[in-house]
Amino acid sequence: MGENLFTGIAAWMRTALLDIGTPPLLSEFIVLLVKLLAVIIFVSLNVLWLVYMERKVCAYIQCRIGPNRVGPKGLLQTVADVLKLLGKEIIVPRRVDKIVYLAAPLLVFVPPMMAFAVIPWGNGMAPVEMNIGIFYVLAVASLSTLIFWMGGWSSYNKYSLVGGMRVVAQMVSYELPLVLALLGVVMLAGTLNINDIVNAQRQVWFVFAQPLAFLIYLTAGISEVNRVPFDLVEGESEIIAGPYTEYSGMAYAMYMLAEYANMMVVACMATIMFLGGWLAPFGWTFLPSWFWFFIKVYALIFLFMWIRWTYPRIRVDQLMGFGWKVLVPLSLANIFVTGVGMYVYRAIGW
Amino acid sequence: MFGQGLLKGLAITWKELFTRKVTVQYPEERLPLPARFHGRFELDVDKCIACGLCASACPNKVIQMERAKVGKRQYLTKYVMRIEYCMFCGFCVEACNKDALRFTHIINMNQYFRDKVRLVLVDRPAPEVIPEEEPAEAPEGRAAKPKAGAAGKGKAPEGEG
Repeated sequence: MGENLFTGIAAWMRTALLDIGTPPLLSEFIVLLVKLLAVIIFVSLNVLWLVYMERKVCAYIQCRIGPNRVGPKGLLQTVADVLKLLGKEIIVPRRVDKIVYLAAPLLVFVPPMMAFAVIPWGNGMAPVEMNIGIFYVLAVASLSTLIFWMGGWSSYNKYSLVGGMRVVAQMVSYELPLVLALLGVVMLAGTLNINDIVNAQRQVWFVFAQPLAFLIYLTAGISEVNRVPFDLVEGESEIIAGPYTEYSGMAYAMYMLAEYANMMVVACMATIMFLGGWLAPFGWTFLPSWFWFFIKVYALIFLFMWIRWTYPRIRVDQLMGFGWKVLVPLSLANIFVTGVGMYVYRAIGW
Repeated sequence: MFGQGLLKGLAITWKELFTRKVTVQYPEERLPLPARFHGRFELDVDKCIACGLCASACPNKVIQMERAKVGKRQYLTKYVMRIEYCMFCGFCVEACNKDALRFTHIINMNQYFRDKVRLVLVDRPAPEVIPEEEPAEAPEGRAAKPKAGAAGKGKAPEGEG
C-alpha cells in the first residue's frame, strides 16, 4: 500500500497538465518544480524534527526527559525556537564584510538542498534523474566549505576566523577519504547513476561487500557535517561557535538548521551507497520503498546522534593525523583490494 | 583491539537511553521535603502566650510583636516577621515553649513587591474587656490545659482567676 503514492501523484499531475493543454515541456517543468518544492518542504520539516530528536536523544542519554512543554511531548519546541529567533535582531557588527556576512547564512542551505534534488526517496522517486548523480552530490556537498568560510572570514572576529579555517582544513581533508570510500562502491556497481547503484544492491547490500568503505564513509561523513567527535569547527569550549560566533537571530538559526540538513545528506548518501537505498531488506515489501528509505536514513541519523553524545571532541592535530595518516591510506587500500578482488572474480568467471 | 573502547562507550550510552530518568517535573511533581525543613513560618495563635521569647531569640530582629493586656493575660495583637531579613536559622522555633511557632513546607514566599514580603502572621484588635467574655475564654484555656499538661503554666493563673 502506498508504494506508488508519490509517483502516482506526479503522473496524475503530468496527465492533468497535458489534458488542460499545457505544452509537454512546460508541464514537465511544472511537475519538476512541484517535486523540488515538495523535497524542500520535506527536508525543512525534517530539519525541524531533527533538532527536536537531537535534544531528546541527548536528554535520554543523559538521564533527562528533554523538551516536553511546548506542544504534545514538546514536539513544537523547535517551532517555538525558530519563531523566537525570527523575532530577534540580526546584529551586524561594525567592520564586518557586510555583503558576504549576510549572504553566507542565506546560501548555507543551498548545497544540501541541491544535493537532495537527486536523492531517490523511493523507487523512481528521485526528483531529477542524473547519470552522474554521485558525482553531482559530492561536488555540490563540498560547496558548503566555501559558505562556512564566507561566514568565518567576513565576521571580523578571531574565533570566527579560526573556526572558518578549521572548517576548510577539516572538510578538505575528510572530503578525500569520503570520496575514495565511495569509489569502491562505484567500482562494484560500475556506474555513477544513483538508481543503478541502488539496483545493483538487490542481491547484497554494499555494506557487506565494502564494510571498510562504510566505516570510512561514516567517519568522514560525521567529520564533513562537523559533529562530535569532529566538531572542532564549533568547539564551544575553544572557539565559542566557530564561524557562527557573530551571527544572531535567524542568521544563526540558518546555520544550525543547515547543519542538520547536511547531516541528512550524509545519511541519505550512506543509505543509497551502502544500505540498499529504498530496497526492502529480506524482501519485506509490505512497507513502501520510500518508507524503507526513511527508516534507514533515520537509523543512520540516530547513530550520528548516539555517537555525538558518547564521545569527547578530539584534538586538531589528532583530527588531521587521523584523516591523512589513517583514513586516506585505508580508503586507498580499500580501492586496491576491491580492484584486485573484482579482477580475481572476473578471472574465475563468476 | 582498536576501537574496543569506542564500542564500550557506545554500549554505555545505549544503556543510559533506557534507564529511568531522574528529572523531577518541578511544579507538578516535587521531591519530598524532610520533616524538619525550614520553610515559611506558621503561628498557632491559640497556643501563643505572647511571651516574646521568639523575638528575643532572633539574631536578626526579624520578629516584631505587639501585645495588649486583656484582663490578666497577655493578648497577641500583632505578629509580623520581616522575612526579608530572616535567615531561617530556626532559633525562634526552638525558643517557643508552647510549640506555637512552627516551620511549614511552604517554600514559595516570593512576592512582586518588597513590602509584601513581610510575613504578617497575626493582626487583630484586642478584644474589649467584658466580664462575660473572660469566663467564656477561660473554659477554652481549661480544656486546652490538660492536653498541654504541665506546659500550660502561663494560662494557669487566668484559669484560677
